[in-house]
Amino acid sequence: MNPAPTFSETLEKRGAGLKLTIESVGKNYRGKVWALRGFTLELRPGVLGLLGPNGAGKTTLMSILATITRATEGRVLWDGADVAKDPDKLRSVLGYLPQDFGVYPNLNAVEFLEYLAAVKGLDAATSRRRIDELLQVVNLSDVRKRPLGGFSGGMKQRVGIAQALLNDPELLIVDEPTAGLDPEERVRFRNLLAELPGERIVILSTHIVSDVEATATEIALISGGRLVAQAAPEELLRRVEGRVWEWVVPSAELARVREAFRVSSTARRSDGVRVRVLTEDPPRDAQPAVPTLEDAYLDALALHRAGVRETGVTA
Amino acid sequence: MMRVRMLWHLVKADFLTRVRRTSFLLTLGFAVFVGYETFAGGIVMSLDDYRGVYNSAWVGALMAVVTSCFLSLVAFYIVKGSVQRDVETRVGQILAATPMSKSFYTVAKALGNFAVLAAMVGVMAAAALLMQLMRGEDRVVHVGALLGPLVLLSLPVMAVVASVAVLFETLPVLRGGLGNVVWFFLWIALLAAGVPEKLIRGGVLDRSAEWRDLMGLGTVLASARMSLLQVDPGFRNGFALNIGGERPSHTFVWTGMEWTGALLATRVGWMMLAVLVALLAAVFFHRFDPAREWWRRSRTPKTVEKRAPVEALAAAKAIVEEDAWRRGVTPLDRVGARTNFGQLVVAELRLMLQGQRWWWYAGAVGLSIACLASPPAAERGGVILAAWIWPMLLWSQMGSREARWSTGALLYSAPRTLGRQLPAAWVAGVLVAMATGGGLAIRLALAGDAQGLAGWAAGAMFIPSLALALGIWSGSGKWFEALYTAWWYIGPLHHTPGLDFMGTTAGSSRPILYLAMAGVLMASCWVRRRAQLGYA
Repeated sequence: MNPAPTFSETLEKRGAGLKLTIESVGKNYRGKVWALRGFTLELRPGVLGLLGPNGAGKTTLMSILATITRATEGRVLWDGADVAKDPDKLRSVLGYLPQDFGVYPNLNAVEFLEYLAAVKGLDAATSRRRIDELLQVVNLSDVRKRPLGGFSGGMKQRVGIAQALLNDPELLIVDEPTAGLDPEERVRFRNLLAELPGERIVILSTHIVSDVEATATEIALISGGRLVAQAAPEELLRRVEGRVWEWVVPSAELARVREAFRVSSTARRSDGVRVRVLTEDPPRDAQPAVPTLEDAYLDALALHRAGVRETGVTA
Repeated sequence: MMRVRMLWHLVKADFLTRVRRTSFLLTLGFAVFVGYETFAGGIVMSLDDYRGVYNSAWVGALMAVVTSCFLSLVAFYIVKGSVQRDVETRVGQILAATPMSKSFYTVAKALGNFAVLAAMVGVMAAAALLMQLMRGEDRVVHVGALLGPLVLLSLPVMAVVASVAVLFETLPVLRGGLGNVVWFFLWIALLAAGVPEKLIRGGVLDRSAEWRDLMGLGTVLASARMSLLQVDPGFRNGFALNIGGERPSHTFVWTGMEWTGALLATRVGWMMLAVLVALLAAVFFHRFDPAREWWRRSRTPKTVEKRAPVEALAAAKAIVEEDAWRRGVTPLDRVGARTNFGQLVVAELRLMLQGQRWWWYAGAVGLSIACLASPPAAERGGVILAAWIWPMLLWSQMGSREARWSTGALLYSAPRTLGRQLPAAWVAGVLVAMATGGGLAIRLALAGDAQGLAGWAAGAMFIPSLALALGIWSGSGKWFEALYTAWWYIGPLHHTPGLDFMGTTAGSSRPILYLAMAGVLMASCWVRRRAQLGYA
């Protein structure tokens, strides 16, 4: 007799061959603004960190992938099937945490999750078990019977995380999930995301680089509605290797340094300001530094913007 | 000076927020429609078989009376919600952190409401000018006579409506659907207080009673009566402002209102009252303090478990470290873990009933029993009216709940929303109608009254269809609350043939019509929800 499959084995078997394909997707609002243009990406199981500045088009892309918004052009394919033609195939395995969402204030956490479980098509026994487990995971078991109207922003966000996981999604889309969470809950959620994937696709959209650093197996950089770069974190870090430098300058000189170099960060010290800079041509007293993902992100964005300025097109 | 500037910018921002919404265009469109109906003769003001010649005075007064009497009802529902919008957009919290006083805010909100309603009056003024010129019975335009009634009669009405809307929003009891119902009956009372018959004593206009007539209908008709008496001394009373109906066959010339000092003082008095109402609203205004929300106060458990911060921190860290996801959540068996439609209906029903107090359930049970126990004639014409107005605030949430609480993205990303959730919500609404009024169906079935039963069934299906359609299209419950209350009052309560969707009498029942309307409304729900989904 074969032993029962382990947790990882169950997930791997179920998720074998999962693929989300985004083909030249574009979104135009009111015939004027292209929030997204020619966006192409292919995703396999793992955590994709979607990084970009405010207004880059992340939320628009998330909405399209979550079947909330229709793309103006291009296609989204889930396991080879066009989502526009059969959206329910994707929806039945989709978990979605929107950037902005509301709750019914008169319901408590259990009642709200029970309602969404029914809408998602889970039977009563399964939903009861999962709701119990998920409330433990998001640390809301103690307040499960309190009306949601009295919840803080962070607590509501955790309810949102629980509802996204209700149907054990094969595609999990989370848009700015750590907004409103305190540092401890943020760490908790990052750990949760890092443990989740198995054989599922997780898309984490954020502008907080440290969230992505902790969880993503792959990173996509988006700016001006275009895909700027797609690579593993290690690859992005390699691109800035040997170009990150640090040195200390007097406070009065900080403005001059900012003008001359691409400053990644600064830190006050008793003897001045330690500046962290991305450059090919460092001053003599600069020390080489170990690149971080934030350095890589800022570098890629800066190169993209320079390219836009040079060519006059947005990608 | 600074306060005037603040007030100006508050009102301006409020006004611009509204006029840039599609709903404002619909509001103006509605005013244009009413103006056109009046022009086309669909709305007639008459004294027995007489109407005034369409000169500036008559046309101006007619438009003013139509604005005051009809648009004022809808105007309330149009402007109510401005305080709530500041809550939802969280702009209110920013305002609350400024030195602005509560009374300043409520007065500014009332002025913002008034600005929107004044735009409607402006549309009616344009319609009045067009009407006079196109009718061509008297092409000489007297601006004062044409616009005077709109300015002096209609604008004070709109000022009162604007302030009452703010007052209702600040009173927790009247903030929601109950306030929408109360406004309807308050509007009826205001209308009734100023009917011409109450302003004429011993054959002459009783000037001392003019203060009662907010709408201006009685004042206008009583004044017109004096002119008519010179043409037809035999005229007694027979005033009417009708939608549809027969058109008068005789005309007389009326040169306009006599704006006496007393009458002007009355109109200014109503404006002052509007300001007082706006100031009164400040007493109840919560100033965006979430702790003053009634449902948070009353529903938060009295004893909340409190742990010392260090202890709580340690507990949370322990959960983080123990790898909660891997240990805590069982992978879902996708085969067989699917709910059936019935479970979804139950979920929708529970959602509808959440937050209801014991007295609501007691009332519903009482009405169900009354439907079973009352004599057949009484229940068909009486108890069912109460049984199907009682759950109105449950129905009014249908279709708009997702927009109101911003849960649309969560629902619309779920599978088969169109084919499952929408019908489940409708069935839940029908079940509520069956539960509160089901006793009547049993009695009709036992009596073998097939026609009566058909009327009942049509009503049980029509009401939730209307609620769902209005909710989905408007994103708000207030339009159902307004329309349903008015329809219930005009149709079933007065057994008006064609408008009696409950089938309260054999003569007024139209089951096929209302079943067909339910079908059309549900089809419209499907169309709208399909458009709301990115991919349907």
